Amino acid sequence: MNEYLRLDNICKSYDSKKAVDNFSLSAPKGSIYGILGPNGAGKTTTIRMIMDIIAPDSGTISIDGKKVDGDFRNRVGYLPEERGLYKKMTLIEVITYLGQIKNYPKQKILQSIDGWLEKMSLSEYKFRKVEELSKGMQQKLQFITTLLHEPDLIILDELFSGLDPLNIELIKGILLDEKRRGTTILFSTHVMEQAEKLCDYICLINQGKKVLDGHLSDIKAKFGKNSIQVELDGDAAFARDIPGVDSITEFNNYIEIKVASKADIRMILRQLTEKVNIKRFELMEPSLYDIFIEVARAKPEEFIWGDKK
Amino acid sequence: MKKLWILISREYAQVVKKKSFLIGIFLTPLFMVGVTVIPSLLAMKKSAETDKLAIIDLDGQGIGEKFKEAIKQYKLDDSSPAYDVTNIYNPQPDDSTGISSLRKELDSLISAKKLKSYLVINNAVEKNDSVFLVGRSFNISANNRFERRISDILSGIRLQQSQINLGIDSVLNLTRRIELKEQSPGGKSRDFGTVFLTGIVFVMIIFMTALGYGQTLMRSIIEEKNSRIIEIMVSSVSPFQLMAGKIIGLGLATLTQVGIWLAIGLAIYSYRGALNISADIMGAIFNPVIIFFFLMYLILGYIMFSTLFALIGSICNTDKEAQNFIYPVTMSMILPLIIGMYVIQEPDSTVVTVLSLIPIFTPTLMILRLNVIGAETFSFTNSIVLEATLGIIITVLATALIIWLTSKIFRVGILMYGKRPTLPEIIRWIRY
Repeated sequence: MNEYLRLDNICKSYDSKKAVDNFSLSAPKGSIYGILGPNGAGKTTTIRMIMDIIAPDSGTISIDGKKVDGDFRNRVGYLPEERGLYKKMTLIEVITYLGQIKNYPKQKILQSIDGWLEKMSLSEYKFRKVEELSKGMQQKLQFITTLLHEPDLIILDELFSGLDPLNIELIKGILLDEKRRGTTILFSTHVMEQAEKLCDYICLINQGKKVLDGHLSDIKAKFGKNSIQVELDGDAAFARDIPGVDSITEFNNYIEIKVASKADIRMILRQLTEKVNIKRFELMEPSLYDIFIEVARAKPEEFIWGDKK
Repeated sequence: MKKLWILISREYAQVVKKKSFLIGIFLTPLFMVGVTVIPSLLAMKKSAETDKLAIIDLDGQGIGEKFKEAIKQYKLDDSSPAYDVTNIYNPQPDDSTGISSLRKELDSLISAKKLKSYLVINNAVEKNDSVFLVGRSFNISANNRFERRISDILSGIRLQQSQINLGIDSVLNLTRRIELKEQSPGGKSRDFGTVFLTGIVFVMIIFMTALGYGQTLMRSIIEEKNSRIIEIMVSSVSPFQLMAGKIIGLGLATLTQVGIWLAIGLAIYSYRGALNISADIMGAIFNPVIIFFFLMYLILGYIMFSTLFALIGSICNTDKEAQNFIYPVTMSMILPLIIGMYVIQEPDSTVVTVLSLIPIFTPTLMILRLNVIGAETFSFTNSIVLEATLGIIITVLATALIIWLTSKIFRVGILMYGKRPTLPEIIRWIRY
């Protein structure tokens, strides 16, 4: 595997609290890696250590086989969790300035700036001040400044925060384009549903510890299919009493049935058809959210698997 | 290096583009003139109106009349008399009720501003402390005039009484007082007012640029911390580059401003004849030795203080929080202004010499001493030139230390949002 970013046994403590505890990760070149976890899990601390903004207490970080150095700063695009820009500067000034301090040639910046503004529907604001933009627009502007200098590695902290669904789709499209260029993308989020649709690899962390790490499809296969969606006519409350059913959740026009791990699914289907008309019956993959809930409830150490070393 | 230059250009442009920069160029000199020159001008200024006086002369030797005559020589700018003696009263010395009612009457005239003041002359020939001037306020130059004129009149009367066979005028001529003129070792005449003014002007420029731009720097760091842009910045440049870019960028703006002032000053200097400006003041300012040291101390002082302000900015989250830290810095900067009068009188005293070699006081205090003592050539035989040079070396070393300390604290501090670090925490940051 063509490894691009590698973290080995990273630890970081604030006072007595361990923010990141013995964390390792390996991201192949051209992959999209999602670091997922609830608020306060240690995502931002990990990302700041990769960015060399704070130093780990122990452990090493290497990029493209080398230790992080000054030159690395030019090849990385970073979007911090808390977003901010120089409010008094115009869009073109901000973009040019932030591109230049990445050592990206001014000429190239001026060539690509219009294309980027167009893509983000910000063209008409080119000579306006940042403070005149709405919050969502400022987010999009910040994406331009993160990606404009054609970085090899893109690091996005809380990627989806503050974006509306339309812009989430826009950004996803842009990130997939970047991936196709061979860019490695690492992002953190606590919005699992969105991450699921974008990532190749995921890493779940909780309370500073890695609880799950691996290729998304591997993880899903490992956790198996353990829920059923059924669309039916009539009252479904009886389904709770069918042997092998853990629980049911009733939605507007369908129910979701959680199945015990060794239950016979055909038996459940048969029992259902005896009492109601079934319009649709589907075996569901577990969502990342479900997986997270399942693994986080147990002790983290017991769930480190899928190591790709 | 290229990145540093980009950082510097932005910081410079951000300041210079602002309207406040242009306004500052013209308003700051006006302000300085305002706080330094105007009060002294006002104190020396002659009254614009004729002062109405009254005299109560209890001696009956015509002192009042002679005084009235003598002060007629003083004129206002429009050549109308400066003083007008409206009434001379000659009550009997033992008529105490009459005198006190007369004084009450004059007092009420003064309260109603119909009279400026009145003289009470009582046994003046015999005693030296028996002439009183009663008024609501007093003018130093008027008091001097009155004192001199009355002294002359009394001397004349005493001479007549003592039967020395000499004319009054010739006695006055023989007892003429001298005026002491001050000169510096080079033989140039030095005037207390000029020395004071030029010294204070230099101190004020260093003080105001370091304080003004230092605080601008501090606010910009706090603002970037609050807007979180700082995290993007340190993902592109090193924290040290960021700090250096800000300090140098604003420093160049400072130099631009002072450069414009010097250029305006030089222009005035070269046209001083046409503009009818005292060559003394301009000559004192445009002394190459002093200008050299001034520019050195301006730059060093700026770097030292603005680095301290950068340090404060990096550990604070709001302007208000920063105020507590600014206070000691500002106090150390204004010390030369507080002890200024003492420095001017005793610029070589041990206390002043030692204080002026303590780095945080050096830029302002040393430039004040230089102005007071004066230096015509760059020669170490003049102790002040030696001390001023030593001051530069000490300040450079101290500044290097402050920059080193600040860079250690800065890179951690700028990413600390929310809570202000404690002293032990800051010491831990310096360690690693």
